[in-house]
Amino acid sequence: MIAVVGFGGVLLALISAVALVVQGTRRFLADGSASVSLRLAVIGLVAGAAVAMGALEFALVTNDFSIEYVARNHARGTPLLFTIAGAWAALEGSIVLWGLILAGYTLWVYRRLDERDSVGAAALAVMGVVAIFFFGLMATAANPFTTLAQVPADGLGANPLLQNHILMAIHPPVLYLGYVGMTVPFAFAIAALVAGDGTAEWLARTRRWTLVAWSFLSLGIVLGAWWSYEVLGWGGYWAWDPVENASFLPWLTATAFIHSAVVQRRRGMLQAWNVALILGTFALTILGTFLTRSGVVASVHSFTQSAVGPALLGFLLVVLVGGFGLFAARGHLVASSSRLDSLASREGVFLLNNLLLTLFAFVVLVGTIYPMVLEAFTGDRVSVGGPWFDRSAIPIGLVLLGAMGIGPMTPYRIARPGVLWRRIRLPLEAAAVAAAAAVAAGLRPITVVATVALAAFVITGIARHADELARGRSGSYLGELARLPGSDPGYWGGMIAHIGVALVAMAIAFSGSFGVRQEVTLTVGESMSFEGYTLTYLSPFLREEPNRSVIGATIELSRGSRILGNLEPRLNQYPNQVQAIPTPSVRTGIREDVYLSLVRIDQGTATVTVDAFRFPLMWLLWLGGLVVFAGGLVAYTGRRKTSPIPTAVTSDA
Amino acid sequence: MFLIAMGGLLALLVGFLIANIRESLVYYKTPTEVVGDPAAATAGRFRLGGLVVAGSVTDSSTEVTFAVTDGTTTVAVDHVGTPQQLFREGIGVVVEGTWDGSVFHSDSMIIKHDEQYRTEEGGVYTPDSRYPTP
Repeated sequence: MIAVVGFGGVLLALISAVALVVQGTRRFLADGSASVSLRLAVIGLVAGAAVAMGALEFALVTNDFSIEYVARNHARGTPLLFTIAGAWAALEGSIVLWGLILAGYTLWVYRRLDERDSVGAAALAVMGVVAIFFFGLMATAANPFTTLAQVPADGLGANPLLQNHILMAIHPPVLYLGYVGMTVPFAFAIAALVAGDGTAEWLARTRRWTLVAWSFLSLGIVLGAWWSYEVLGWGGYWAWDPVENASFLPWLTATAFIHSAVVQRRRGMLQAWNVALILGTFALTILGTFLTRSGVVASVHSFTQSAVGPALLGFLLVVLVGGFGLFAARGHLVASSSRLDSLASREGVFLLNNLLLTLFAFVVLVGTIYPMVLEAFTGDRVSVGGPWFDRSAIPIGLVLLGAMGIGPMTPYRIARPGVLWRRIRLPLEAAAVAAAAAVAAGLRPITVVATVALAAFVITGIARHADELARGRSGSYLGELARLPGSDPGYWGGMIAHIGVALVAMAIAFSGSFGVRQEVTLTVGESMSFEGYTLTYLSPFLREEPNRSVIGATIELSRGSRILGNLEPRLNQYPNQVQAIPTPSVRTGIREDVYLSLVRIDQGTATVTVDAFRFPLMWLLWLGGLVVFAGGLVAYTGRRKTSPIPTAVTSDA
Repeated sequence: MFLIAMGGLLALLVGFLIANIRESLVYYKTPTEVVGDPAAATAGRFRLGGLVVAGSVTDSSTEVTFAVTDGTTTVAVDHVGTPQQLFREGIGVVVEGTWDGSVFHSDSMIIKHDEQYRTEEGGVYTPDSRYPTP
């Protein structure tokens, strides 16, 4: 019964998406006249998507195993949180979530649609096309509401890896808010091309929408890294796995766009380039979906092989050929004629930033798809090692960090040495002091010293500017400092994000260069020293939890005479899986994390072998990610005033 | 003119990246491919995948020798390091190391996670989803 309701929702959304395309196109042709109503189509899309998601959740929570998706991905013993998260833990459900978020964004764009807004109407029609594709998938190849003739007594349960950590409930929706959100800028770019709109109007709106998607994408990527660190137990957070790269690629191009869009707004340059970046970003999200959802790469994200793969590949081709074909035919209509006055200017640094970010994206793209292309043509199965990516990413990343510091200090048009010197002196001094301190503290790899110096450069540059402005105002110093972001949210949001990136860069450099791994074997009661800590094997344990049985080791962590606590690396045995899943145990500290992953536990001889890792400053990575997210949101609020409709502003705290 | 220049630059970059990538590639081979290829002994490091043959495991705390098979060919493996808890006969492993013509010397082992799920009735259900092996 609920399957019928759910499928009805899918069909309603599909029909509404078709109606949205028709009505959006008609309204565009009528110069955006509100006499062509989009209301019903949008409401139908949202309602249909919500009914589909609601039905799926209802079926999961009520253990309705007559639905194949529920029988495959849920069991009676599954805890409630993972039951709810089960709606996006497998292929079909994840596409329902995709559709729901797309419908949500469509509603949001619709609510901001102005009378006579023909570009906005065309953008909604483009979103309708994308919605037709995804709801079409749900109605055919990825139907989540297929029923079973024979209803099993219990389901198989979720993939054990996906019910091992609470982040599983948060990471996918957040990442999808970013991924799916890139549809909105894409829709506006296509609309601007179709309309031949050469004004900066579409761009200001597109940048706001990109900021929303980009903020969530940033947070989603960091949450994914965190999940990988806390759950997989191989002792890291990023492996240049194709699936990780799939989320990183659109992030890079979207970041490039956020910057180059500023140049267009301020100086009327780079219009065509901006359109190309947006088209590329959306194409990369579809490529990423194809990589992660089609089974071309083996990973926890590639659920099943099905007709979804070819469908996504086809859609990718449509996006590439259609988008860039339109761009080739009509790009000149939105292109600019302004030229750069001088490379030594804010525009020049933005240009450098864009070249580096697209180069970075290009390198990652080549490394990601090369193995697939090679296997397709020669049959050789290969993997590109992480070191190859590191070799490219480290120099590009360091230059980017430098550009990130210099850019905001450089004036537009032409940078006079005097002005630049006044702004750059203090940050340069701070960088020199930081570098000297790092060397004195015994930090050796030049890349780490450079990262520390550049991070100090970036952060001091921002602090100096904030300090200068706050002093120049009448109010109390701290009060003015707190009011700064509100005075120019676009700029200061960007600066907050820069601080976040600098923190992330520090964490990557430190954990990458000074991470230590040691294999430790202990018998019960025995102690061993590890990087200044003492590990003592207290006892093995065996626990029955509602959905799994757990075998593990209680290991006491102490430093000197101080006991820091017990770590419990373990193996989780799920009833539906023959093999157990190892789960590491992490103690996060200000200086460093101690991370234990169970290798082998032997009850007979009472020995345990663990992989012990020490990672310095890991918390900076998670904090930096949050700061980047916050910066993106601050910048978003600042663009509100350029919105066509000044909506009732809900004041932000 | 500009487009041609950009295209040329891009082609150059791709060429450079791919030339560079080749040195970092890790090849994956099956026992049959290894035994059938005389060049494998001089190929440097690569990954070898297969099932651990029942009765072939000799375990000490720091080293383990066993044989892997792909069903047609069997290759002897000498692995240095403590094997994981999950290591046992009959499971799939991917080992990385070098091949000397008769024995594969490995120092890195990834356990391929079993893709079989147990069902209530004792039957076996095999989804195509796999476990990540970063």
